[in-house]
Amino acid sequence: MVEFTLDGRTVTASDGELIVHAAARHGTFIPTLCHDDKLDPYGGCRMCVVDVEGAPRPMPACATRVAEGMAISTNGQITDYQRTLTEMLLSEHLNASPGGRPNELRDLATELGVDAPVILPDAKREEYDDRNQLMGYDPDACILCARCVRYTQEVMQCSALSLEGRGGHSRIVPTWGLSWLDTECELCGGCLSTCPTGAIYEKFEEGTERPESALEEVRTTCTYCGVGCQIDLKLDPGTKHIVKVTSKDEYLPNEGNLCVKGRFAFNFVHHPDRLTRPLVRGEDGELHPTTWEHALETAAAGLRKVIDEHGPQAVGFLSSARLTNEENYLIQKLARTGVGTNSVHSCEST
Amino acid sequence: MGRGASSNSIPEIENARFLFVIGSNTTEAHPVLALRIKKAVRNGATLVVADPRAIWLTKLAKRHLQLRPGTDVWLLNAMMHVILEEGLQDDEYIRANTVDFDAVREIVMRYTPEDAEKVTGVPAEAIRATAREYATERHAAIFYTLGITEHACGVDNIWSLSNLVLMTGHLGYESTGLNALRGQNNVQGLNDSGANPMYLPGYQAVDDPELRRKFSEAWGAEVPETPGYRLDQMMSGLHDGRVRALVLIGENPAQTEPNARHVEEGLGKLDFLLSQDIFLHDMTSKHAHVVLPASSFAEKDGTFTNTERRVSRVRRAAPLPGEAKTDLEIVLLLARALGTHWPEYPDAESVWNELADLAPAWYGLRYDRIEENGIQWPVPELGHPGTQFLHAPRPARPGGAKFYPVEYQRPIEEPDSEYPLVLSTGRTLYHYNSATMTMRESGITEKQEDPFFEISAEDASALGLAEGDWARLLSRRGALEARVHLSERVYPGLVWMALHFAEQKVNWLTHDVGDPLIGTPEFKISAVRVEPVA
Repeated sequence: MVEFTLDGRTVTASDGELIVHAAARHGTFIPTLCHDDKLDPYGGCRMCVVDVEGAPRPMPACATRVAEGMAISTNGQITDYQRTLTEMLLSEHLNASPGGRPNELRDLATELGVDAPVILPDAKREEYDDRNQLMGYDPDACILCARCVRYTQEVMQCSALSLEGRGGHSRIVPTWGLSWLDTECELCGGCLSTCPTGAIYEKFEEGTERPESALEEVRTTCTYCGVGCQIDLKLDPGTKHIVKVTSKDEYLPNEGNLCVKGRFAFNFVHHPDRLTRPLVRGEDGELHPTTWEHALETAAAGLRKVIDEHGPQAVGFLSSARLTNEENYLIQKLARTGVGTNSVHSCEST
Repeated sequence: MGRGASSNSIPEIENARFLFVIGSNTTEAHPVLALRIKKAVRNGATLVVADPRAIWLTKLAKRHLQLRPGTDVWLLNAMMHVILEEGLQDDEYIRANTVDFDAVREIVMRYTPEDAEKVTGVPAEAIRATAREYATERHAAIFYTLGITEHACGVDNIWSLSNLVLMTGHLGYESTGLNALRGQNNVQGLNDSGANPMYLPGYQAVDDPELRRKFSEAWGAEVPETPGYRLDQMMSGLHDGRVRALVLIGENPAQTEPNARHVEEGLGKLDFLLSQDIFLHDMTSKHAHVVLPASSFAEKDGTFTNTERRVSRVRRAAPLPGEAKTDLEIVLLLARALGTHWPEYPDAESVWNELADLAPAWYGLRYDRIEENGIQWPVPELGHPGTQFLHAPRPARPGGAKFYPVEYQRPIEEPDSEYPLVLSTGRTLYHYNSATMTMRESGITEKQEDPFFEISAEDASALGLAEGDWARLLSRRGALEARVHLSERVYPGLVWMALHFAEQKVNWLTHDVGDPLIGTPEFKISAVRVEPVA
């Protein structure tokens, strides 16, 4: 535990705590852009600089650890730095929201009440295209904070994205200039989730007018694999269709991380192949759509006949890990008390 | 040990100092959990991977024990041999918390690392080093998946792992333990909920008359005494007439079960087949008598339980398509049609409350407590915080955790001159089981669509096969065609294929002789031959 001064107040921090975290605990919000708690401290964008007494220049709060007796100031000339930095970033930031994702830079600009004073003559960067259908990238929305690149390196530990070029020509590209489909990229979309400006976005949302904040959000548990990631299904309020899937850092056990299936494989929910009516096999040997009433009568009669002729033990139930606990509970209750057999199992008995 | 679940929790993984991953292709089957393993290694932990294939995690591993499929018992017994030979066991833990240690000691003394090398292909020195590292690190955790269980000796494999854990006392505290990574979203929960022939909800044994009476009274209907059939027994029952009607709920055993052609034949013999699903697939369209349109996860309320026993909420977000109903509603309608007199269940929560009232380890777990993050069972009373790791302060099994001496058993089917290659099966990152969901996602099929199998460059070139060629795989049960993928992950003599491809089902090839105790199929070892497609 160390003691330090924050804007004149004497407060404490744990050993090795970053200034940005200690300040937040004491109610002082320091804006950041290149910082993500999942990643190593970086200090690249300088948006979070603070004055540290005795230091020759402002220090990045996201990459500086509190030391005993430090005197930190987050107001005064610092807000001028933040305004200037924001203006500089905006002046080469031509496209605010290519896929409707949140844009922390724009939010910050609104909060600070600044706008781009000029658009730099070389702000336009080379167009970017890729044949994958999941992730789009617009260099004109990118502030080159490298959160995406660092996510691939530090969290996924794969070689998927790189920073390419220098100065005004810089942009993010899949490693070796390959397609996203041909690098080590596992299409998890972690780059997209960490991007502060929405420069990397769900490609299928390209050109959408509707910001992510206009979507309905329902928190639920992912249907793929036993990790049980917590996800937010984002629905179009009009169609009630899932249009994207996101997560949050405070969700357990995944802490905002997702995989390719959890983030992108949701269209099956609204697929035209979905069964929409009960089917019963007719005399002609084919399945025909019918009413629920008829289907349930036929189902009950079919089971009843087997029970009457061969006993309840001749009926088996195979339930599924795709179902909820509540559904599985009722299915075993149905097998045991409705039919009279303990033969209830699943293809996932291991 | 006394619990059918992972001992420890996902967030603890990153603080483990030694991780032994055996029979788990974690980055593909549990990608987000694997991030914790990656983080642990980045934090300086040692990772050792035991797997017949050079899976992605071997890139981060200090050591890859590339054992021959099905030789896990040899490897593990030899590790225990080293631990006992060098006196690295935890005598105090063994004395205070376990029974029958001597039986294991006696057996593993015959399993020397040098002999193990001959059987497993893993160098004796690598076995010794791994045993030492595991035994001497307090925060040493084991992770396994279906590479351990999907064998005719699957139970033996789990017992071996359990022996190793107990011998070293690596149980009952943080960042350690024996962790079964559950493959599917709610495998843990479906067993917890009693969709199991041996157990009523909450692992209460059906063969216990007291427990049967408890449930019969609560339900107002008699719980049958006759033991139920397991999955494998139901499958064989299709052929010998024991099983005449089947209710399939979101399942396609003609793809996911071994010797799938034979399964489909059996399904064709049924007097009555009822399917409740979100899609029609080839098997139900051919054989089902009634098909009921059901719900996806996004259209219903309830809970899923993940691999670390965490019960989390599932919430209805989207409307059901057409006349489809939630599975819960369908089961209630079916129950009424069959003449049951159940109480009203106005919602999923009312069903959960009935389960929690009857299952002591779930009693304190109610919806109002899992509005945000889920809670891990056991939660024996209201207000109980949940259980981050099991077997603390001592193993759950009354009387102490039991050592089970295990001898090596050869696989059911081994390669011969006619079928010279070992076929192992599994999952990939991009698809999920029978892939009815993921094959409908074009952004994903772009990455992986055609059926393929992994084969070593040596084996492929001997057969005149190149990357991307179509080849035929044949076993004693069936044949299929898939694209050649030359892979350094498999060694000469081993081929591997995923189960996701509906058009070319790898389970046409696998055999259906499973574990004698629990019937788990030996998906990981079948003998096959590969031929070029003319």
